[in-house]
Amino acid sequence: MKYLPVGILLCWLLAVLIGRGLGLTPNQIDLNALLQLPTTSHWLGTDELGRDLLSRVLHGVELSFGVALVVTVITLTIGVAIGLLAGFYGGQLDFILMQMTSVFMAFPGLLLAIAFAAVLGAGLNNLLLALCLTGWVSYARLTRAQALSLRHRPHVLAAIALGASPYRVMVKHFLPMLLSVLVVEATYSMASVMIAEASLSFLGLGIQAPQASWGAMLRDGARFMLVAPHYVLVVGACMMSLMLAVNLGGDVLRDALDVRRENTE
Amino acid sequence: MLERVLGLFSVVVGVVMLTFALIHMIPGDPVDVMLGESATLADRDALRSQLGLNQSLTTQFVQYIQLLSQGELGQSLSNHRPIAALILQTYPATLQLACVALGIGLMIGVPLGVLAALYARQWPDVVIMLLSVRIAAMPAFWLGPVLMLVFAVWLGWLPVSGMTQSASIVLPALTLGLGLSAILTRMTRTSVLEVFSEDYMRTARAKGLSQWQCVLTHALPAALLPLITVVGLQMGSLLAGAVITETIFSWNGIGKLLVESIEKRDYPLTQACVLVIAISYVMVNQMTDVLYRVIDPRTRGGA
Repeated sequence: MKYLPVGILLCWLLAVLIGRGLGLTPNQIDLNALLQLPTTSHWLGTDELGRDLLSRVLHGVELSFGVALVVTVITLTIGVAIGLLAGFYGGQLDFILMQMTSVFMAFPGLLLAIAFAAVLGAGLNNLLLALCLTGWVSYARLTRAQALSLRHRPHVLAAIALGASPYRVMVKHFLPMLLSVLVVEATYSMASVMIAEASLSFLGLGIQAPQASWGAMLRDGARFMLVAPHYVLVVGACMMSLMLAVNLGGDVLRDALDVRRENTE
Repeated sequence: MLERVLGLFSVVVGVVMLTFALIHMIPGDPVDVMLGESATLADRDALRSQLGLNQSLTTQFVQYIQLLSQGELGQSLSNHRPIAALILQTYPATLQLACVALGIGLMIGVPLGVLAALYARQWPDVVIMLLSVRIAAMPAFWLGPVLMLVFAVWLGWLPVSGMTQSASIVLPALTLGLGLSAILTRMTRTSVLEVFSEDYMRTARAKGLSQWQCVLTHALPAALLPLITVVGLQMGSLLAGAVITETIFSWNGIGKLLVESIEKRDYPLTQACVLVIAISYVMVNQMTDVLYRVIDPRTRGGA
């Protein structure tokens, strides 16, 4: 069970690397082979323009993972910085920053990301911007809560008494103790960023054609569900396997790092 | 109490400010984006003054607040009807879908959670937990089409989409409800397991109650209490999470209205939908909080 997530992720990595090595053409249109079932030349069948689904799925996993990685790194940095500042300084700064996070938390689920993506316009860059603008909140709250309790630990008080600068206290004395909690949180939220990216692309607000995003492929697949059910099933199953691997990976990390995850839902 | 009301007020003000800011985040001239390149100068000026975009930012904000306080959300650009009427027309459908989905989620989630807790670390627990992880990993835009494929296309039991028949609600509600049940199962399991280790449970067992009596009369009422918070939070996100499900199943709720407004670049309507969904989310959460305090004997009378 412990090796399942690692195994799935390695399989995907291997598949992507082999696909790159073979020079797959995810955007090559073949009008003689529309919506074909899996055959020996197209292992997962073809889509509504005769493009090879396997190549498109492999292209999609790169995009999905890339977006998740970029968004997670950026939101983690912003969120941790805000959380540390609020938790360390407390008082008015804390009050203002936490008011700000409560306002962002008042928008359920993807609503704010959808709204931002809608006004910014479609495309990869705007998608990243929309996800980054909304993703930092959970990290900020988590970091602040931890920093508040760390603030009164003897080693922190000692460091402050010895004249350590606030920056030094935050980076040298807070961050290392927060690391395991943040790593686990970041793993789980990678899965939700992937879902968010796919959702926005599904609504036509994210990555645009002809780039192969899983969300857009699911939308097209659902449109041709009656004639070619394999399309939506194949893409969905691929996406689910990755989601499952990331979530289970989060569980494994959580147990290994011994983090009690508070319910942040 | 006063602090809570003030906190709620400041969040609502923040939400209004953020939704107001949305229209100013449009890159370039919002009027150009809404009308397209070919619009005449007169049309542009008309829209600009209709939206108040030719005034200063503060004036615009004050006017926005004034109109909002009168329950006035402006006019839709795409079909020239009052936005408030459009939202009132679609909101009941969303509410109905959310309630049915919540019912399904509770009916599946709570019994499975109790079962998993009763057989903790034995095979029923393992199977249930494994299933719930798997279902939680299924986003609505995959679960929806799969359910549609199986129950509407292959088996032909239920209508594919739309809302003409009364059975139309089953598939969208199931899509939302299954995802919800995965969360509720996990919560119920944790919460029941926690209650099992309490002293009064040992007393109940010691006085000779059967396992089922223990669970039903002693464990469940205490264990379900924390669930209220989760249900409240989920009810709020059902109101918004329905955006994708409503789009898939052509369910004419506020989520579909939002998506359509985005497609038509009807920004005032988008803005209003976002505002209404966010405010109802905040309100549902507040009500849950109050309800929790009223029901839980430990918090009664205290702060």
